[in-house]
Amino acid sequence: MTARAARRSAKPGEPHEGGVTQPLAQTEPTSIEQNGEPSAASRFRIFIVDSGWNSAARRVLHENFGLIRDLQKDDPIYVLSREKSVEFMRRHGSRIGRDPIIAVHDMHALGKGGTVGFHGFRLSLGLLRTPKQALMGLQAFARFLVEHRHSADLEADIRARLRREGFTGAIEIAMHHEAREIGD
Amino acid sequence: MFDRVTEIMSLVLGALALGYLVYEIDRRQRKLHDIWDVLDGEDAIITGTLEDMVKKGELKPYAEAALA
Repeated sequence: MTARAARRSAKPGEPHEGGVTQPLAQTEPTSIEQNGEPSAASRFRIFIVDSGWNSAARRVLHENFGLIRDLQKDDPIYVLSREKSVEFMRRHGSRIGRDPIIAVHDMHALGKGGTVGFHGFRLSLGLLRTPKQALMGLQAFARFLVEHRHSADLEADIRARLRREGFTGAIEIAMHHEAREIGD
Repeated sequence: MFDRVTEIMSLVLGALALGYLVYEIDRRQRKLHDIWDVLDGEDAIITGTLEDMVKKGELKPYAEAALA
């Protein structure tokens, strides 16, 4: 292991050999704005749930979190501590192994119809097994949020995207091109 | 006779190719739905829990440049 690698693995929250990683400790929280409240213009609330599996997706998330934060600076990001994430997983067992999970609450939809109908979306980053897949997933996530933050119908946009991705991937296979990495 | 067999073979292969395409689209859409999913009524409890944590001040916006 190089000195740089050793320094990196010594950080709390960074993966280490032997399976489960060190706790992803939540540092002293700091608000987005000086008054401690998120911007009134926030369309989304972003939640990150990560119980700490030593996975490629987790590493990619850690390495790119700063950029994600800068790209989404208008929306507050809430990071659940490892303890809270584990508690969350114990309550919702079907989510185990899918984390890191990034849940995005659409505050417009929540304000209109509450939690009964559509109110956001979720990226189960942990299902993407390779670093390349995870990075592409994270980039698609960031792109989608930036492009659709003023969308009048976010649900329709998401469903259209899912349909398009499915078609595009299959057509690429039919055309004998290399299969898209996402979802494979 | 030979033409008839060739025609049938072409039809069968065409049907197989189309079937594979439909199967592949369906498989990819299912997989994508696993990875990207909308939040709706089924997620009401989880969403409510997270929003409550924000409301109670248990969760604050994370402003650090990197995850600790």
